[in-house]
Amino acid sequence: MTTKTVTNVWKLNEGEIRIPQTNHVIMMALFIGIGVVVGTFGSLAVPVGFVSAFWPGQAIQSVGCIWFGMWGGIASIVFPMISNAIAGSASIAVSLAYVPGNFLQGMMAGWAFRLFKCDPRLKGGKDWAVFTVFGVIICNAIGAGWGVMVLRMFGLISPSSTLTVFLGWAIGNAVPSFILGAILLKFVSPLILKSKSFCKKYWA
Amino acid sequence: MEGVHNKKMMKTLLALIPVKSPLYYFHPVTRLLLFIITGFIPLFINKPELNILFAALVMLLFIYSRVSLSSLKIYLPVIICAGIFTFLTFIFFPGDDSNNQAIGHLFSITIYDRPIMDACIAYSKILALLLSSIFYFSTNRERDILAALRTLKVPFVVSYVLGLSLRSAGMFLEDLHTVREAEQARGLDYSAMKFTEKVKLYSMYIIPLLSLALRRSDEISNALFVKGYAIKGSGKRADYILSKYNFTVVDIISCIALILLLILIVYFKYSYHLFDSDQSIFRYFLK
Repeated sequence: MTTKTVTNVWKLNEGEIRIPQTNHVIMMALFIGIGVVVGTFGSLAVPVGFVSAFWPGQAIQSVGCIWFGMWGGIASIVFPMISNAIAGSASIAVSLAYVPGNFLQGMMAGWAFRLFKCDPRLKGGKDWAVFTVFGVIICNAIGAGWGVMVLRMFGLISPSSTLTVFLGWAIGNAVPSFILGAILLKFVSPLILKSKSFCKKYWA
Repeated sequence: MEGVHNKKMMKTLLALIPVKSPLYYFHPVTRLLLFIITGFIPLFINKPELNILFAALVMLLFIYSRVSLSSLKIYLPVIICAGIFTFLTFIFFPGDDSNNQAIGHLFSITIYDRPIMDACIAYSKILALLLSSIFYFSTNRERDILAALRTLKVPFVVSYVLGLSLRSAGMFLEDLHTVREAEQARGLDYSAMKFTEKVKLYSMYIIPLLSLALRRSDEISNALFVKGYAIKGSGKRADYILSKYNFTVVDIISCIALILLLILIVYFKYSYHLFDSDQSIFRYFLK
């Protein structure tokens, strides 16, 4: 019979000092690049104007914040601005207005995984539950809520369609973000945890 | 377009453009400012005809810059789908405004004038903003964006991260191409795969690509360390890229004109309601 040992990946080892390094900045830049490609693909694959109905980039945001903390949070802000501009799915003004929503949409999962001491490799039921609730459902609800509010503010959707657009946005983004996010966490986390770029705290 | 292809072309982030494009008489800062200003102007205009005119002007800029227009074909589905989506949301969710007047029917759904007018306003804005955004990325390379940011004295770490991000998007696609070629060399036949298998395969591509990015981040940070760069400033260094661009009188005049244009539009909008939809010719058509 084998016994399953639960390891806390967020706990600092004795004498371990973690400070932000060049490596974190570079990984963030590369991660932004990955997010740009995934986000642009999503925006071009299901083009519905400024509304987001299928955007796998959200998985990149959640997973990035789980692995890289605040560096992932910064990437969550920057890459949608670039991918929106390249895909033509939002202008610079609209993208700037999305910034708080994008940050929260990404950081929610990073914060929850650190708070509840979950394993990014999704080893147990708790890890799956926290990822599903905070990394998929709540963060997409926040992102969709903020996004719809911005579109209302700029007069780009009809006032009476707010709830429908919100539900379409939240559910439409939740599906790819769950699938891609789970794949990333399950298969790539073991590599990331061993790397220098992994952040046990928010900045290092 | 034959004439365009005969000239020496240069690849920008989205398109091909002649090296001698007239747009390159302008400094990257002027082009960046054009991108920012044109990203705001349509939001202040509620007359669809003016936004359509704005979009037409951007198309003229494409022609002036000699951008290969065939590269814009990829955006045609975006333009069409965005239009359909925008109009459908306003048709299906017209709201309960008592001033709404029925102007027709679509499959037993009554179409009202005001929601359609609002849809025209929203779509004309989306169209104008979309084209102006595509224009910037069709006419500028990463290098131009970096030159603009460095001229504006943006901190090194910010311009470096942005430049590397844009470059890494291209590297990511190259890696994807390499992985796909390796799969084909091992006998993978995409045409024989079911749709669900293809979706699964595409999701799994992210694993080797992230592994490569991880390795690359170590290599790049080591290379920066060896060259003496640090995140918190590494002293003043000579900038080769900036030596290739001159900020001329034409740029100064253009920048002032662009800023003035935005200020005037904002002023006339809020002081004289000049760009409100009340006097739009679209409203007369809908009546």
